[in-house]
Amino acid sequence: MDIEVKMGDLVVTKSPDNLMASGIGSCLVITLFDPKLRIGSLAHCMLPTRNGSCSGSDTSNPKSNTQGSIRKTQYEIRYAKYVDEAIDKLLERMETLGAERAGIEAKLVGGANMFKTLKMDMGSKNISSAREKLEKAGIAIIGECVSGGQGRSVEFSTATGIVTVKTKF
Amino acid sequence: MKIDGKFQEISKIAASNTSNALSKLIDSQVSIEMTHTGVKKVGDLNPIISPEEITAGIYLPITGDIKGSALLIFPKESAFILCDLLVKREPGTTRKLSGLDKSALKEVGNILSGNYLAVLSNMMNIKITEHVPSFSFDMFGAVISQIITKFAQKAEEALVIELEFVFKPATLKGYFLLLLEIEEINKILELLGSQ
Repeated sequence: MDIEVKMGDLVVTKSPDNLMASGIGSCLVITLFDPKLRIGSLAHCMLPTRNGSCSGSDTSNPKSNTQGSIRKTQYEIRYAKYVDEAIDKLLERMETLGAERAGIEAKLVGGANMFKTLKMDMGSKNISSAREKLEKAGIAIIGECVSGGQGRSVEFSTATGIVTVKTKF
Repeated sequence: MKIDGKFQEISKIAASNTSNALSKLIDSQVSIEMTHTGVKKVGDLNPIISPEEITAGIYLPITGDIKGSALLIFPKESAFILCDLLVKREPGTTRKLSGLDKSALKEVGNILSGNYLAVLSNMMNIKITEHVPSFSFDMFGAVISQIITKFAQKAEEALVIELEFVFKPATLKGYFLLLLEIEEINKILELLGSQ
């Protein structure tokens, strides 16, 4: 089953689902994979860290998807606006499903700067935040397709752990 | 926030001013459809075009008494046709955007948002400054997400004005998106109301 993960959302699921995110610019997609149990997760994050920058109550009240079919296929969507909080949530949920932290592998995609003249390079900050958080959590980053000025789309197979990145020009 | 009649009226005048400016620029009739005026969650801004469609995006930061972002979007083929018109080439000859084409499109962004904001500024008696335009030619989702992210840092919602350009003949498509910070615009509307 193909599951599209929109900006600010995250999904945790098991093989053979494919997790997808399209049109990623400065956002950062983080994929985590447990190769033994074939549990995979993807977060489509917008900002590096909460850091007092937003008073929204979104992440304290995770957006729950109430469609019956979603529960049946063992995945759920939660709000994942911030990189650091999203990583915590992905790990927590994967561990609940039985994944062992030591075996989890991370990949990062995105973090571009689509408007070169813009001073605010949120993409780079997102990448730094993810690297820092994953290092603290003891998760190895085994692949990255980040930075630059190009938009990307991602497909993550939880059957194989392979992340396919598409650019368009 | 309640978008009162007064603001709707100002928005309509501004939209009409913007379509006139575009008509003059490309010497062709352009009308405008206001597809949305109101408060929207910044995360829900994606539906106009498919996230993977290649678009030309012209972004202009707005500062002054109100802060926000203006974004002009043309799908790839429309951007090419527009460049034919702007740079006076034979129709259908632009297949790639040169430096001149990008500059021309940025100038369109400048003129259109300038025309829109001039009406807001005059009728609401506020100071608005638009800044140098930036250009991006890529997937729509990637282009717009950077603008959304800029807002998401501060607030969950913005006052969103979405305009769709309706060209005759209808081979061209284009969108103008204006995002304004709610708190500031609220203050101004209060002032307007008390006048």
